[in-house]
Amino acid sequence: MDRADIPKALKSPANWGQKYSLWAVYFCTGCGVIEIPPVITSRWDAERFGVLPMATPRQANLFLVTGYVSVKTLGAIIRTYDQMPDPKYVVGFGSCPVNGGMYWDSYNTIKHLDKYIPVDGWIAGCMPRPEAIFVAVVHLWQMIDKGIATGYKRYKEDYEYYERNQREVLPHLAKFESAEPTAARDI
Amino acid sequence: MAMETLFAVILPAAFGGALLVYLAGKVSGALRNLLAVLFAAAPVVLVALLHGQDVRLGYYALPFLQAELALRVDALAWFFAITVSAIDLLAVVFSLRYMQGKRGLDFYYSCMLLVNAGMLGIVFSADLISLFVCWEIMSWATYLLISYKGGKAVAAGLKYMIMSTAGSCAMLLAVASLYATCGTFDIAALGQQLSGMSPGYRLFILLMFVLAFGIKNAIVPVHVWLPDAHSEAVSPFSAVLSGVLVRMGVYGLLLVLFVMMRWASVLRLSISWPVDFHYILAWVGAITIVVPTCIALLQDDAKRLLAWHGIGQGGYMVLGIAFGTSMGIAGGVFHTLNHATYIALLFMVVGAVEYRTGGVRNLNELGGLAKRMPVSFVGGLIGISGLIGLPLTNGFVSKWLIYKTLIGEGHPFLAFAALIGTWLTILSVFKLLHNIFLGQVPQKYAGVREVPLSMQLPVAVLSLTILALGVFPGLALRPIAAVQSSLGVPAIKTTLFGVPRELGELNTINILAGVALSLAAVYGLFALGKRARRADQFDSYGAGSYVPTDRYQYSAKFYQRAYEFIGPYVRDRADDFYAWFVGKAEGLFEEVRKIYTGNVNTYAAYIVIFLTLLILLKMGGQL
Amino acid sequence: MMVKRIALILALPVVGFLVAVLFMGLSRKITARIQRRYGPPLYQPIIDVVKLLTQKENISHGVLFDFGILLGLAGALVTIAFIPAGGIHPLSTSGDFLVVLYLMLLSPLGLALAAGASENPNASIGVSRKLTLALGYEVPFLLAALAVMTRFGTTSLVEIVSAQQSSMLGWGAAALPLSALATFLVLPAMLGIRPFDFATAPQEIASGPLVELGGKYLAFAAIQGALHTYIVLSLFVDLFLGGGANILTFLAKVLAVFFVGTCINAVLPRVSVAQALRYLWKWPTLLALAGLAIAAVMRG
Repeated sequence: MDRADIPKALKSPANWGQKYSLWAVYFCTGCGVIEIPPVITSRWDAERFGVLPMATPRQANLFLVTGYVSVKTLGAIIRTYDQMPDPKYVVGFGSCPVNGGMYWDSYNTIKHLDKYIPVDGWIAGCMPRPEAIFVAVVHLWQMIDKGIATGYKRYKEDYEYYERNQREVLPHLAKFESAEPTAARDI
Repeated sequence: MAMETLFAVILPAAFGGALLVYLAGKVSGALRNLLAVLFAAAPVVLVALLHGQDVRLGYYALPFLQAELALRVDALAWFFAITVSAIDLLAVVFSLRYMQGKRGLDFYYSCMLLVNAGMLGIVFSADLISLFVCWEIMSWATYLLISYKGGKAVAAGLKYMIMSTAGSCAMLLAVASLYATCGTFDIAALGQQLSGMSPGYRLFILLMFVLAFGIKNAIVPVHVWLPDAHSEAVSPFSAVLSGVLVRMGVYGLLLVLFVMMRWASVLRLSISWPVDFHYILAWVGAITIVVPTCIALLQDDAKRLLAWHGIGQGGYMVLGIAFGTSMGIAGGVFHTLNHATYIALLFMVVGAVEYRTGGVRNLNELGGLAKRMPVSFVGGLIGISGLIGLPLTNGFVSKWLIYKTLIGEGHPFLAFAALIGTWLTILSVFKLLHNIFLGQVPQKYAGVREVPLSMQLPVAVLSLTILALGVFPGLALRPIAAVQSSLGVPAIKTTLFGVPRELGELNTINILAGVALSLAAVYGLFALGKRARRADQFDSYGAGSYVPTDRYQYSAKFYQRAYEFIGPYVRDRADDFYAWFVGKAEGLFEEVRKIYTGNVNTYAAYIVIFLTLLILLKMGGQL
Repeated sequence: MMVKRIALILALPVVGFLVAVLFMGLSRKITARIQRRYGPPLYQPIIDVVKLLTQKENISHGVLFDFGILLGLAGALVTIAFIPAGGIHPLSTSGDFLVVLYLMLLSPLGLALAAGASENPNASIGVSRKLTLALGYEVPFLLAALAVMTRFGTTSLVEIVSAQQSSMLGWGAAALPLSALATFLVLPAMLGIRPFDFATAPQEIASGPLVELGGKYLAFAAIQGALHTYIVLSLFVDLFLGGGANILTFLAKVLAVFFVGTCINAVLPRVSVAQALRYLWKWPTLLALAGLAIAAVMRG
């Protein structure tokens, strides 16, 4: 890694910061998250890559969607993604976000995550090993360097596309209701 | 000559104003309001013109007691008079809109002015009869105003009246005793004569006066009337009550301890070695700081919380004054002024919230009003900063003086009581500010607006005073040094921004410069970042859920763990004791009442028995 | 003369800031090594702060939210300017220890206002826990501080430091061993590290007051946290470890205490609020009371 490459860092400090300080929002979306605790603890130590788990989406810029995405969880994922500040990166973790994975014929899961929120990268596997996660992180760094990790820009530009898909699966999501506040209801 | 005329006009104007306002109210409400403001403002102007004067005015010669009733203005009187009249003026201005539409307004305004007149009479009295008469006028007007609202307020007023009357009786006893031994009511003359009396007699007089003034000032254990009275009175009057009325007790203490008793002899007065009287009084002040502030921490009613803080802060004043050093007395007297400003401010802020939410004082029901009532919020923030004693507020300077003298003279446990009182204050007033102004706003109160201008004005004036006196403490410390000279106590040396180098290290302008520069530098860095987008209260973190309405506010049991630890130990045991005592006394009176059986036969028997006893006694005497 | 004074006044917060950033990185590296892993590089906090400050979108809850964060950082900076650091004490005649104790309140007040303006109950719970903890550790700390002030007969930090310069036996820790021990026992609570880091617990209350902070706001809060660590450590060194004849010895002592604190943070778990209060109000308070009583008797 070229973390200590000072001229490169000075040329684009924003990129340098985004790359080597990826803070993942610690939202355990599905069973795939069982691989995350080993990654962030002593044996596989994600902190040396600068990756830390964060409690709230306000503080995070990386969203690992681990495991299958049921419709109900998709509402929480959309809400969490909306609350993250730009620039933000989504990585689909496991084969379920890619094409449904093990739950390819379930009535209750969504099969393609990037129809609902923009995804910058995928990690195949069920579950992927920690080494695969680190390969993905390095790959994400290269994408940030090249300027092609632009999921958050796509979300803003093509918001109608994403919103249409979100409405199709979750018509009663609170953000689609009027601006009036509502009591908490099933998302 | 002009000064004497000015001085002679003040009290008649104040008392006459009270009557005029009542009569004007029969004609028109607007006229009454106008006259009320005018007659509240007149004493402020007149007293301000009397700054630095030393005038004595005999106004009546009592023929049968050979006493001359007199008024006087000197540094001490001026200091308290300006505080009293200014706070009362601000409270009257605040009441204009706050009390609009309530019944009995003629009565209310005339009582407010009567209270003002009574307090001015107290501070201007040069003899004990005038003092006592004005004291009683003030106490009775207070009772009328406390029970103004009816309902629970009447019981609160009664509790206040009983305790205040007990104090007044003690004062009357002391006055009568002084006349019997010294033959005069004049305070200055008594000061000279008392120094020749025996220590035991002086201690007795001191105790009687301390009891009377202590009940008014609400020191532990005679504080029990204050929480009920302050919370049940209407908010503008609570501001006056807590700000200046109870501090008449402090004025009285100053008068008795230093004018009548002489500072040096007070310091030497002891009940028995090694316990000096003033040291005991200082410890009473220290306990008054800690215990009521702990109890304030537990309160859920905004006004009750502030009332308990009023008791606690009174402890600082008693501690400073009783400690007896030049810095301590300056700190105690300055704290009187400071406390008046911020407790009046806080009661007005709570009153503003009550006004807009329809009388809600329960801290568990409010929230998030800062965006809707920004002026009240800023006033509340500055008020609590003063109450805590943050640097750049006036509360900090007076507390600093008190801490410095306590530590410097080697009394660290008293200093610890004062310091931990500040931390308890921080917790409880942050709860006050947070539960009213921060967090999520309930849907019920989402539509409240800011209060009208006439209610914002006193809040703004008091906030500016707190900050101004915090940055320029010399403005207030110079009159206080004059007060100390008039009391015969060594005066504190001050500079405009603090104290000179030999007394300590305090320079408020440098602190202000530091804070301002840091804020500027940080803001410069802040502005370099991207401009933020606004998120409202429904765009808040909810762990992936959308924010539920009206169920997303943390306010009840704000310090739950601390309550679990402190709660069992701090109950108002004095109140429990008085309630027990009252119960037992009522039982006794009930038994005594049974003498009146209502039965004529019993009464005839009483007469017969009594006559028999008389005859026997007469005969026995001749045997 | 005036220019030199202003330069010194500005130098102190800068020194504090650099030391704070170093400490942030050092803390993560030491914790990682204790946990038998490599950990991030020492300059990782710089990367974090740069990322947060260059974020393309910041989210705010209003003017009060902004002002609270600004006041939080500004309060920490102005407090540092009043604490003697080795031989550097340009503002010592403007504020003594009591002024420093009260200036230390500005920064938490700012963060508490920002947390309240976040309109989130997690933030409010975090503030309530922080204040409860503060009440817990202030009791023994004030007793110990009063013991120091009584023993050395002054409220000026400069005079307290210079009274300890004679030798290691003149240190506050040697003159007032019980008070020093009591303060050391509550030092983790004052620093807000484990076992007393429940005020910003990520797992329990979603970071408490930091829950709605992102981007530049989080950067400021992180810097404020590091500066607060520096302030507490420098006070401890000034009161009990002799202060430092020059800035280098001073920083060396601060580093030593920081190292001990980091080791404690890396090894101990988090306690609950009730457990913390029970601990803080028992042995440290008793030790500090005894220390104050001894100091008062020795003085009088």
